[in-house]
Amino acid sequence: MRLLLSKLTVLLLVLLALPALAQSRRVTGQVTSAEDGTPLPGVSIIAKGTSRGTQSDANGNYSLELPPNINTLVFSFVGVTTQEISVGNRATVNVAMSNDTRALDEVVVTGYGAQSKRNLTGNIAQVSSREVANIPVPSAEQALAGRVAGVQITSLNGKVGQGLQIRVRGAASLTASSQPLYVVDGIPVTSSDQSSTTAPTNPIADLNPNDIESIEILKDASAGAIYGSRAANGVVLITTKKGKAGKTTFEVGAQYGISNPTHLRTWLNTNQYVELLQEALTNSINLGYLAPGTSLNNRFTRYAAGDATGWQAPNPKYNTDWQKEAFQKAPTQQYDFNARGGDAKTRFYVSGQYFDQNGILIKNRFRRLSGLANLDHTASEKLTIGVKLNLINSINDRVSNDNAFSTPMQIVALPPMTPVIDPRTNQLSGNYTLYYNPLLNRDFAALQTRVFRVLTNSYAEYKIVPGLTFHTDFGTDIIGQQEEEYYGQETARNTGAPNGLGINSFRQVVNYTTNNYLSFGRTFAEKHDVDATLGMSYQQSRSNFASVTGQQFPSDAYKQITSAARITGGAGNETGYSFLSYFARVNYRFDNKYILGASARVDGSSRFGANNRYGVFPSISAGWIISDESFMQSVPVISLLKLRASYGLTGNAEIGNFNSQALYGAASATGVSYGYAGVPGQAPIQIANPNLTWEKTLQADFGLEFGLFNNRLSGEIDYYQKNTTALLLNVNVPGSTGYRTQLRNVGKLDNKGVEVVLSSQNLTGALKWNTSFNIAYNTNRVTDLGGTTITGSFLNRAQEGQPLGVFYGPEYAGVDPQNGDALYRITTTNADGTTNRNATTNDYNVASSPENLVALGSPTPKFIGGLTNTFSYAGVDLSVLFQGQAGNYIYNGGGKFQSANGDYFDNQSVDQLNRWRKPGDITNVPQARLLGGNGTGESSRYLQRGDYVRLRTVTLGYTLPQSIVNRVKLNKVRVYVTGFNLLTFTNYTGWDPEVNSDAYTGNPVNLGVDFYSAPQARTITGGIQIGF
Amino acid sequence: MKTNSILLASVLATGLWLASCTGKLDIKPVTSISAGQALTTASDLNALLVGAYDAIGSGNVYGGNLQRDAELLGDNGDVTWTGTFVAPQQMYTKRILVNNDQIDITWTDAYRAINIANTVLANLNLAASSDQSRIEGEAKFIRASMYFELVRVYGKSWGDGDNNANLGVPIVLTPTTAIDASTNVPRSTVAAVYTQVIQDLTDAESKLPSTNGFFATKGAAAAQLSRVYLQKLDYTNAAAAANRVIAGGQYSLVAIEQVFDLRTNISGVNTSETIFAIQITDQDGTNNLNTFYGASEYGGRGDIEINESFLSNFETNDVRGQLFYPDEIGAIRTAKYINQYGNIQVLRLAEMYLTRAEANFRAGTSVGATPLEDINKVRSRAKATALTSADLTLATILQERRRELAFEGTLLHDVKRTRQSIVSGTTTLPWNSTRLTYPIPLREINTNPALVQNQGY
Repeated sequence: MRLLLSKLTVLLLVLLALPALAQSRRVTGQVTSAEDGTPLPGVSIIAKGTSRGTQSDANGNYSLELPPNINTLVFSFVGVTTQEISVGNRATVNVAMSNDTRALDEVVVTGYGAQSKRNLTGNIAQVSSREVANIPVPSAEQALAGRVAGVQITSLNGKVGQGLQIRVRGAASLTASSQPLYVVDGIPVTSSDQSSTTAPTNPIADLNPNDIESIEILKDASAGAIYGSRAANGVVLITTKKGKAGKTTFEVGAQYGISNPTHLRTWLNTNQYVELLQEALTNSINLGYLAPGTSLNNRFTRYAAGDATGWQAPNPKYNTDWQKEAFQKAPTQQYDFNARGGDAKTRFYVSGQYFDQNGILIKNRFRRLSGLANLDHTASEKLTIGVKLNLINSINDRVSNDNAFSTPMQIVALPPMTPVIDPRTNQLSGNYTLYYNPLLNRDFAALQTRVFRVLTNSYAEYKIVPGLTFHTDFGTDIIGQQEEEYYGQETARNTGAPNGLGINSFRQVVNYTTNNYLSFGRTFAEKHDVDATLGMSYQQSRSNFASVTGQQFPSDAYKQITSAARITGGAGNETGYSFLSYFARVNYRFDNKYILGASARVDGSSRFGANNRYGVFPSISAGWIISDESFMQSVPVISLLKLRASYGLTGNAEIGNFNSQALYGAASATGVSYGYAGVPGQAPIQIANPNLTWEKTLQADFGLEFGLFNNRLSGEIDYYQKNTTALLLNVNVPGSTGYRTQLRNVGKLDNKGVEVVLSSQNLTGALKWNTSFNIAYNTNRVTDLGGTTITGSFLNRAQEGQPLGVFYGPEYAGVDPQNGDALYRITTTNADGTTNRNATTNDYNVASSPENLVALGSPTPKFIGGLTNTFSYAGVDLSVLFQGQAGNYIYNGGGKFQSANGDYFDNQSVDQLNRWRKPGDITNVPQARLLGGNGTGESSRYLQRGDYVRLRTVTLGYTLPQSIVNRVKLNKVRVYVTGFNLLTFTNYTGWDPEVNSDAYTGNPVNLGVDFYSAPQARTITGGIQIGF
Repeated sequence: MKTNSILLASVLATGLWLASCTGKLDIKPVTSISAGQALTTASDLNALLVGAYDAIGSGNVYGGNLQRDAELLGDNGDVTWTGTFVAPQQMYTKRILVNNDQIDITWTDAYRAINIANTVLANLNLAASSDQSRIEGEAKFIRASMYFELVRVYGKSWGDGDNNANLGVPIVLTPTTAIDASTNVPRSTVAAVYTQVIQDLTDAESKLPSTNGFFATKGAAAAQLSRVYLQKLDYTNAAAAANRVIAGGQYSLVAIEQVFDLRTNISGVNTSETIFAIQITDQDGTNNLNTFYGASEYGGRGDIEINESFLSNFETNDVRGQLFYPDEIGAIRTAKYINQYGNIQVLRLAEMYLTRAEANFRAGTSVGATPLEDINKVRSRAKATALTSADLTLATILQERRRELAFEGTLLHDVKRTRQSIVSGTTTLPWNSTRLTYPIPLREINTNPALVQNQGY
């Protein structure tokens, strides 16, 4: 393979030498803004079909040697419509460029290069800086929800700084990650969870969204194949802002706001609670579950801080709304500054930001301090060099995962008769509460993650000959992360450490990449355009972790590990991986109408099994711009009509670093020693699979792009099919082998879908109104799991013939009106051999036997979409984004505690008052039975539709008139208010339909799970931007 | 100029391919290591054997949950489960669901220990010849102990119908190196599993030394054997095995307050009464009996409260009646697990006296000592009044056993072998009720087509 590529290189070089020398001539001119006539510096001017080009200087002037046989100049500038000008016999060509960007002519970053959208044969979605800047969320991807067709973005819960779930065209994996590859300025960055606790974090939140120039999402195979074995889940290319030649501009911004929960639930008050529990007790005694004479009075009094009047009807002394206590006042603020400028030789962008967002949950906060410098220097006509330096310090005050007694939302389980403050001690109610009181963690515990991150990139570009450029870069992504946890004496009930527990962890992730490639672009005989890229890349990543745990602190004033009288735990480990890759891409255009593309990447990785070290990932694509055909010129309504198709292979290499090998460990994966009482020990931890390889996704995409009425209405329709094979699975193996699972490439799954994007300029006068709409339909089906089934924590499964993560289990059939028993549907056989689901059982064990289980719904939405309307009039701008999804279900894993008809002492959701009470009652809530397990098994009782539409973002801004602004020597002043998650329309009765509990994400089958998951934040901010 | 450019380009291009040293792709695991590297020397084998002890010390096996669940499923009104974990609650209410996650992990953790023991046994050639028989004895003790624990909770009780037809658990005696059709092992009969257990333990007893630090000894194998024989109602052999432990003279009864570690937050110690204990330190191991029985002020969850009625089992001068404490919320707790880092006594000498007494009594023998002597040996240590021969009945022997061994994980097995009933709510469950046997875990049923589910599930 390497030999073949070498030969290609030589061929490419020979081609370059072909054009004969001939007479060239010089063209000069000035580039100005069509809007205000001011000179435009930094505009790129290229002799069409060559790589010969220059940039306009600070006064907008340029001068360029035009090669012979070339008669067209291409003027391009970020954010401005690209123009092609025929030179004719002129020696001076002046151009006015318009800011009125038309989406169809934008330049799109493609990975190892860029291309005009018009010439694209793959599906790449672009999001501009405007759409991600100043949204009150820590991470740029959160602002993308609803903006990109086919990209689903779910915040796991309402904790700030937490992990996100992103799916590009459905999940293409199961055990391996389904998250896309993130590439920032050409460097693949660390994007996976780095938390040492079970609550995931999101390393992308380290990036300042206001530094982002554009985000491109590579969705189909022809776009993604250049990233080979890591592109199957899509690739997110993030490009940061760069300097522009011209007058130096400064911008400062400030933003302040407040967050609240999107939704609260209603729980029983003390009277209701006592009534329900007493009734549950009576029923259980009558049914013989509990001994006659059992009383709850002492227990209630204990919960009511030892005061019987605390719970006794009719006017109990205590009636605590615990839910309210889980939340805090949550201000959010952001201050940033940037400067941008330069001249034809050197350009710079520098920025700084302080972002501080308090989560809605107690003790939850995310702060980020970041600085970015991007510097580009044109040393000569041939050589451009540049450097980027991005320094970030983020601090995240975190809370426990959803399945911890200490997590704030589990506070709702506490009985309402328990006072917040125990009057006997005047302290927070502590050891006598039903469960651990999470408020103790608020006051006496801390979990803080501090990240220092350095992202750098140095590059050089050398124009070897016209049309051939060599690019080399070297980038690093270094994360130093400290996690400090301290749990005071008061939290002993939760930690089991009577005198304080401290954990101090340090993680370092060093990730470096070098990319080296040749880019070739040339027009032959005016009608044949060829663009080609050929190169290699090497990436190495190493991650080290060390942690120390100590107990026995003299007091809560001492929190550092060194103050611990006993060091009770320590961990240190290392892991790493490398990728060595070669890639090539060729695009050929004939007559600017017919486009052919091909690309391939060869990836080798340390992760792959010895039998499968290298993989090849090719793709082909084609496009036809029908509207440029002569026969279409008579249809003036159609300004663009383009067909494109692509087919290719991508992979998913997130298979773990050493998963192909038979391994022994001296400690488990979670760091539990296999030694015994201080004597060293070891044990087998993994069974080998030398055939282990990347997952393979073959994707076909057919697209139609159109523009009507001079592009007032434009759109894109895509149909795709993604077939993933060699799906990596932790296949359950018989426990009698000594192992629970083995990792194998056994499965297959398919995603099929349609994406529609429409944009229109409804009004273009003084009142401007633009609409953009996207909707995506996706079906996902697991087609082969080698005969096994993978089960999740609740009802989720991966099962053949079903969508990934399908909820599969007993079907709840309501309540028996005669006796209040919970009923479940069972499968019975008709006389003719067919089956029906008419019969029911009250025996959960019967209901959960395999023949009675059914598919109950999919956790993945069938439809996702967004609708953005923007208006502007006389300095006022308004942007309104609705986002939604439909066709998915949510399983409330906490249901068996929260809504269990008085099965235990957890406070119950108010709907449990509708329990069955006497024969003839028709209700969905079974008879209350203390410890009776009546309907509390996992079943569709706790499953609900998760459809929602959300008013995701509304921004109303006002830009002060220039006349006023100029008087105070400023360039621009804009004030704005932004609302995030203002309204939610859903029938889901849990806290929030945008959910997937962070406690269960360790098993990728667990999708659509709600488990005491905090609702999302509704944030309203006001801000000001000043330019000078 | 042009020539120079092409030259430069060629140099750069060549540089690209030169960077392609494949060695860059060989990144070796360092935190865990490859199997080939892990098992090459005698000390590697020793470490693996230690790993097997660590495996049986898992919280899901001898680390406490096995004992806890035997106490909850066998409970007849001595304790109240107040915790939130669903799996133990199902044990307590005797309504185990097939997807109970504890029965699932107990199964796989026990087999994990068995696989490690099998790997040790298959690599005995690595050991120094002087160590070989000791190592073999230890591995067999571990393997047999796990099979014994498995067969008595996942299979029908010995004597409940035909032991040669009743299904026990799959028997695997070789290390797993690959997963294929042959790893779908069906359940052997209850009788076959007992035979394997007795064979391993007998072998272990002959090969183990009398003293072996806190690892398995000759006495441990004999003590476990006495349990096995008692469970299969073979009183002659049970008395003989218990007698071998007592007569061996390695162990002696200690003051009652020393049997259980009444210190707090400090690494556990063995006493001279300990025959075999799971070692817990503040760095390693989990005492799940503390987790579930211990009050929160001692690092537990306080999920199991002792009912007041249980205290009336002790006469006033019986110091075992003082091994209780009220916690901050007024619930009664057993003091046996007050130290969260205390060792877990799996086998201790007092049980041998009780077993010898019961077995002798039932068999009408007096191997080693008379039943009365043995019972009074245990009672006098607790400062309880000595029984007279008139007092001595099977019932008083069994009551003594309960007083001494309460909450140590023998309850369910004693209920079954003595054919008692359990009252759960208003329902009376006979000793052989299917509700007192675990189901085969749903995960295993779904994974291994050769497995057959238990009756009642």
